[in-house]
Amino acid sequence: MAESSQSKSGGKKRPRSESEGDPDADADAASLQSIQLENDLNFTDTAIALQMMKAQFPKLDKVVVRPFILRSQLYSSVKDRTQVDRDLESLKKEAVVRVFKLNTGKDDHAIMFMDDYLAQMENAVKRYDAKDKQLSDVFDWFKQYVIKSKTDVSISHPELCSLLSNGGDVTEKHVTLLINAGLLTCQLIDQNLYWFVIPNIGSILKGLSQGRKELLSLINRTKYKEMVLANLEKKRLRLSPLDIRFHIRDLIGSGLLKTVQSPIGLLIRLSRD
Amino acid sequence: MGLRKQVMIVLARASCNELGRLLKNQGRSDMRPREGQARPAQPNKHFVWSRVGFVFRLVCSSRLRRGGREELYMWTWKALNQREDGSLRPSAFRRGVVSSRASSLQLSNAKEFISLHRGAINSLEIDSTEGEGRYLLSAASDGTVAVFDTHRPTSSSSSSSSSTSIAQHHPLFHLPRAHKFAISRALWYPIDTGLFITASFDHYVKLWDTNSTQVVLDYKLPAKVYGIAMSSIATSHSLIATATADVQVRLCDLASGAFAHTLSGHRDGVMSLEWSSSTEFVLITGGCDGAIRFWDIRRPGTFLLLDQSLSQLGTRPSLLPTPTPSNNESTSLPASSKSSSSTPILPAQKRRSHKKIQLKPPTQSSHPGMASSQNRATAHYGAVNGLRATADGFYLLSSGSDSRLRLWDIESGRNTLVNYEAMSIQTSKPIQLAVTPDSSLVFVPCMASLKAYDLWSGTTINTYRGHYESVNCCFFNAQDQELYTGSNDRQILVWSPSIPAATQIEEADSKGGITSIDQDNWSD
Repeated sequence: MAESSQSKSGGKKRPRSESEGDPDADADAASLQSIQLENDLNFTDTAIALQMMKAQFPKLDKVVVRPFILRSQLYSSVKDRTQVDRDLESLKKEAVVRVFKLNTGKDDHAIMFMDDYLAQMENAVKRYDAKDKQLSDVFDWFKQYVIKSKTDVSISHPELCSLLSNGGDVTEKHVTLLINAGLLTCQLIDQNLYWFVIPNIGSILKGLSQGRKELLSLINRTKYKEMVLANLEKKRLRLSPLDIRFHIRDLIGSGLLKTVQSPIGLLIRLSRD
Repeated sequence: MGLRKQVMIVLARASCNELGRLLKNQGRSDMRPREGQARPAQPNKHFVWSRVGFVFRLVCSSRLRRGGREELYMWTWKALNQREDGSLRPSAFRRGVVSSRASSLQLSNAKEFISLHRGAINSLEIDSTEGEGRYLLSAASDGTVAVFDTHRPTSSSSSSSSSTSIAQHHPLFHLPRAHKFAISRALWYPIDTGLFITASFDHYVKLWDTNSTQVVLDYKLPAKVYGIAMSSIATSHSLIATATADVQVRLCDLASGAFAHTLSGHRDGVMSLEWSSSTEFVLITGGCDGAIRFWDIRRPGTFLLLDQSLSQLGTRPSLLPTPTPSNNESTSLPASSKSSSSTPILPAQKRRSHKKIQLKPPTQSSHPGMASSQNRATAHYGAVNGLRATADGFYLLSSGSDSRLRLWDIESGRNTLVNYEAMSIQTSKPIQLAVTPDSSLVFVPCMASLKAYDLWSGTTINTYRGHYESVNCCFFNAQDQELYTGSNDRQILVWSPSIPAATQIEEADSKGGITSIDQDNWSD
């Protein structure tokens, strides 16, 4: 990680390049936040891809959200998907990253580094002023007991209560407070299960699904359902605050778009079936 | 040299059985329809369209992919040399030939099935009698059932695009009104082809006698039947497990004609089920709630529930115990530790209002086969619409309507995290997956195409595009290494290894008379 963190940032993104050979990391941000990984002796492709994409996360003006990476973006930059899944699993168990299931319909997962998530949680808690000050201890309990021990994307009600009661007496009001602050969401299919969520991410998720549709329709309208990557990257999406590189990566990883080498350069084509 | 020629000829014969038989049967026109059965109707628009469609498909696929064939030739030549000097054993040679044929499948230009179904084809199955998998049973959404003979064609038609003619297989019999509504699954009786079983959306499961095509037994179920299964290794029971839209799985006994028992535990309808290929008492069911449950039918209750968050890195669990994440405060639940083996997963105990709660370690309940219905672990985020166990009984493949295919290690009950590249699986119907017997390839119907993935690494080996609408079912015939697929466009397509016979007969020692298709005969 030390080598790639010193290289220049920016540059052209190649959607399907080997992640190790692509020196795109932003020096400052990456080196500060990845002390854990820097001290590692072996790096996996997945870890480097995560760092790289975190550095490329677009700057949003309206909402302050720490960088998160979609799982499909990882699939598009590292060749072996099984290895990505396994590396992600071990990173999850080591509590370096946290995975969240998004509710944009399909099998979307967002990956966020643990420090980013904790920082985001602090912001959310600060912004949400609880009416009853005693109840706000639950946030500390949540951070200390639940986040550290439960690395899954969801948690059941009894388990949540039992983990929180390590800090103190837990009532239903505490859980309601957590939901209102945006740290947990109820699942629709099952009342007893909660998803972990990234707080304040709602508007970005809406932008994500609309941006996907817009990008797909953009390519669909061309005569041969394909477009040169260079031209595509210059466009701006109207409906999504995230930039177009984010969406391109995401759609390639989920298989809706594919890249084709051609004499002009890299083409992005809509994949049939 | 002699051995090689002999082996080549054997290969040539084996790889195009249909052509050989066709040449023998030319002119034999005594395949009349059975008495008492109406002749197929006059060629109507659909029939003509399907002819045109077939020729179109043939022309499109006639540009054979060079890569697949050449690899096959290179491997075959090297292996033959090794076989000649004794460094390769016969069984290894056979395995190599079989696996290279299985990975070089293309739309067959020598064989086709003339399907008289008027509805989407939902189920295809070849009988599993010892040594001869010959009869193909197909069932469709219009309530019809047909049986085809895959070895012997009924007629042949010559098409102008190739010099060989296409062997056509008409159904041996076609039952036009087998069920009132769509048939979701048709199965051969596992022992022989004297009986077959059909299950339909009209809530009935019927047992038919093949020779007289009459219903022998029927069972009325409370909801529409999505799938049935019979164990092919069962010696002490002859139970048909039925998966319905009702939450209970019912076992119907063939010997007595009544229901044996019901298995309850699912929280929504059950869409797919499969008997274990290693024990005759274990049934695996996948439900619309996304859960996969393992039942031992000798005891009530589920003994294993697959949870997608329990995973192991690698296809076998690691031998050394791996460190669990730090949970100093609460005792670790079995769900968060990686080193637990198949202990039954019990629900969390109801919470008490103590200051410091220690979650009670999971206690063994009254008997080991009992798992709770409160366990809400899901194997998929949507419904589980296809299940297939590998032939060795160690792994289970499950496909879900969240468009994921997962490989589970049955013994440890964990997700092996093999990621099968992007696919889109239809969500409304159960689909039929196929796995090669040597567990190297898995065939998955993905919308209008069929994809073949390498089982262990998840990479796409091939995409088979030939159907016009969504593919529902596929069956891999291990005897001839052929793949049969059925889809909503009412066609059954045959995919066979892409080795035309004529190129095989071409030999190094034949100086004149080049008989291969892609070499020309011009003089220099």
